[in-house]
Amino acid sequence: MSKTIMVVDDEPDIRSTVKTVLEKNGFNVVTAMSGDDCLKQLGSTKPDLILMDVMMPGTPVRDIVKKISGTKIAFLSVVRTSEAEKEQLLGQSNVVDYIQKPFDINNLLNKIKKIVGE
Amino acid sequence: MDITKELVDSHTVLVLMPSAEYNQDIVKVIKQLAEKKAVCYVTLNKTAESLKEIFSKNKVNMQNIVFIDAITKTIKQTPDTADSVYYVSSPQALTEISITINKFIKHEFDYLIFDSLTNLMVYSKKAPVAKFLSSLINKIKESTTKAAFYALSMEEHKALVEECSMFVDKVIDLGKEE
Repeated sequence: MSKTIMVVDDEPDIRSTVKTVLEKNGFNVVTAMSGDDCLKQLGSTKPDLILMDVMMPGTPVRDIVKKISGTKIAFLSVVRTSEAEKEQLLGQSNVVDYIQKPFDINNLLNKIKKIVGE
Repeated sequence: MDITKELVDSHTVLVLMPSAEYNQDIVKVIKQLAEKKAVCYVTLNKTAESLKEIFSKNKVNMQNIVFIDAITKTIKQTPDTADSVYYVSSPQALTEISITINKFIKHEFDYLIFDSLTNLMVYSKKAPVAKFLSSLINKIKESTTKAAFYALSMEEHKALVEECSMFVDKVIDLGKEE
């Protein structure tokens, strides 16, 4: 059965590009335009992985992540953090990766496959 | 570009940076400004910790820099202040950013760097950003602090950059410099 990935990003270009590439590679993809939208959709969708931009309007990602349990999250980030901060972010229970933007789409695909076990 | 010379003649400048050279350019500028003078660095796209990491690697004089960090609190819990860092809740908290910057202006910092206008546009619409900027620039002009506002040279936010150009004393386009 295909794995489901939720792409949460306020940039429409990122949402559509990642969605297209993932769907071509056999994933089901749902998209959300903010952290709040993500939480709303999690009521009816249970993705295997959430790819979440860390810099979006609305509720801070820090608070969104606290409300998500049982689903793996990989951050997509244009924000630069120090190595120590990156480790701290990855130390949160369901956060599995921190992917710096701009990313190579094939690298992203490989990381996703590794995380969800495809 | 010698930013210290630019800020002798101009009180406020808008520095347009090509995205490919952005990280090198911010290091070049801070290296010049923080060598002997006090700098308040407002960051809307990198955490203060990551900037400290980058600046230390590039031998920037960190003793003279205080950060206003509007990013860290969006991704993790932080104290209200840490060593030379003042945290603002997020880049969309324009009033909070403005109040914090005003405190530093009153302390007569020599320079203020605002990094960057481009990031403001992620969170807020053009009208409130333009209002925030005009009010901030007016306060800076009434003070002894000189300011450099960064923006990425990109078509998407051309309208805001054009509007901001009217408030500042000079626009420096690093992409067009020889």
